[in-house]
Amino acid sequence: MRADIAVIDLRLRRRALLSYVVGMVLYALVIVVLYPQFKGDTSLDQLTKNGSTLAALVGATGSLTSPSGWLDANIYENFLPLIMLLITVGYGASCIAGQDEDGTLSLATILPISRRAVVLQKAGALTVQALLLAIATMGCILIGRQFDLSFPITHLAGLSLGVALLGVDFGLCAVAVGSITGSRGAALGVTAALAATSYLVSSLAPVIGWIRPARYASLFYWSVGNQQLANGLSLASVGVLSVVGAFLTLTAVAGFRRLDLR
Amino acid sequence: MTVVVSAEKLTKTFGSHRGIVGVDFMVTDGEIFGFLGPNGAGKSTTIRLLTGLSHPTSGAVTVFGLDPVPAAVDVHRRIGYLPGELALHPRLSGRHHVDFAAKVRGMRDRTFIDELVARFQVDLERPTRTLSKGNRQKIGIVLAVMHRPELVILDEPTSGLDPLMQDEFERLMRELVSTGATIFLSSHELDEVQRVATRVAIIRDGHLVVTDTVEALRRRAPRTIEFSFPRTVDPKPFASIEGVQVVAANGTRITLALRGAVAPVLRVAAELGPLDMVARPADLDELFRTYYRDQSADEPDDAR
Repeated sequence: MRADIAVIDLRLRRRALLSYVVGMVLYALVIVVLYPQFKGDTSLDQLTKNGSTLAALVGATGSLTSPSGWLDANIYENFLPLIMLLITVGYGASCIAGQDEDGTLSLATILPISRRAVVLQKAGALTVQALLLAIATMGCILIGRQFDLSFPITHLAGLSLGVALLGVDFGLCAVAVGSITGSRGAALGVTAALAATSYLVSSLAPVIGWIRPARYASLFYWSVGNQQLANGLSLASVGVLSVVGAFLTLTAVAGFRRLDLR
Repeated sequence: MTVVVSAEKLTKTFGSHRGIVGVDFMVTDGEIFGFLGPNGAGKSTTIRLLTGLSHPTSGAVTVFGLDPVPAAVDVHRRIGYLPGELALHPRLSGRHHVDFAAKVRGMRDRTFIDELVARFQVDLERPTRTLSKGNRQKIGIVLAVMHRPELVILDEPTSGLDPLMQDEFERLMRELVSTGATIFLSSHELDEVQRVATRVAIIRDGHLVVTDTVEALRRRAPRTIEFSFPRTVDPKPFASIEGVQVVAANGTRITLALRGAVAPVLRVAAELGPLDMVARPADLDELFRTYYRDQSADEPDDAR
């Protein structure tokens, strides 16, 4: 399959994407470099002691001074997913619905290329962006091994894959909503609401009993919210995130086939 | 003669809003088919249905005998399309757009692209956001015809072009037709359409009000007579004459559209002592305006 549409979309997004990646890399480097100063600070662990809901709300549970706890609480359970979703949901909402609203989508849809192929190329561009951010961040974290941050590399690679799949899934959700409604606003709004709910469920599940069963419905739980850096990304997680992505892609294709374009 | 485009009872509604209703027409190969109508009449809606960008609410449309929605890839390979409101990626240059379309279309021979670029003096290097509307429109023209499509669908193609480029575009349309292409030309510019089109359809409020050859329409078109009087005159005596419509009455000047014999008009005018009279031949513009203004005005049923 050709990738001309994906290439042109990535070209259009390259400045914004580069800015997000550079910002994330700088932030991750600061977090990594600061770790030796905090690893012996037992007062930090008091924040999450006794199941603090406030700490859980910002994605901090368990020990904050362990390498995995430090990285989870400062990067992988909050800031990186946030930046990831800004990139992928933003692109997901704009790549079909947004481009249709501004009229540029017809530059592609009037060419001899099926709507299914258009969606698949957009999904490809989405995946490239998510992987770029996840890999760049992973590179910074690997530098952290020089700053007392020790953890299995396979676990880090798994977590990076998880956060990339998280971004791809929510990005595809925005693509699907945009393909069904033709509205960039609806795509952003619905996906942002789902992502916020998913985050809350995953982050509060460890400290609020009645929410705990619902964590299985949260993509955050399957990707970053189950101590993946300490335990590794499970095959079940990869399966759930992949199946959800495939379902959203099919939904987007079906919606886009029925959409009236400008 | 092969039917290239066929619309049967084609209807598109947007919720409670009218789009087009029961539109019927055919376009045959090798013709320039003019599609006229005022803004908001349903021209662009019809075109989006022809191109498969939009789905009909009811009725049927075929292009090359294919339904343009499920067979979009096959149809799009054979058509070129210039939208009425061309939107280009603002940060990309014209060359990016042309290269992208050429790659997707699998074009290796770029001779015709180069010829078009030179002929229309297209600026392919600057980001399109820095180009004037006319220069962006030229990129749209290149994108629409660069692959020598069998059917070219043009929606207000000369919008923003200067008169010299409009003439050049008119020559291009004639050349494309001479090499076997069919052109569907949508416009609200009457002069442009009547100069190049062989047949014309007029759409108004979503309904097709007439489809006929330009010559037949011209034969039906009203003549225009203008009188100047030394004093203010009442136009009512003219309005009561059969086949006469008062187009403008401005105190001492009266403009009439005349379909019947001229004698009754001259008799009424003579009694009012006109200073001057100017008569123009059959005016297609006036016929179009009549259709635009009032569908019921002299609407020939057999012309639908």
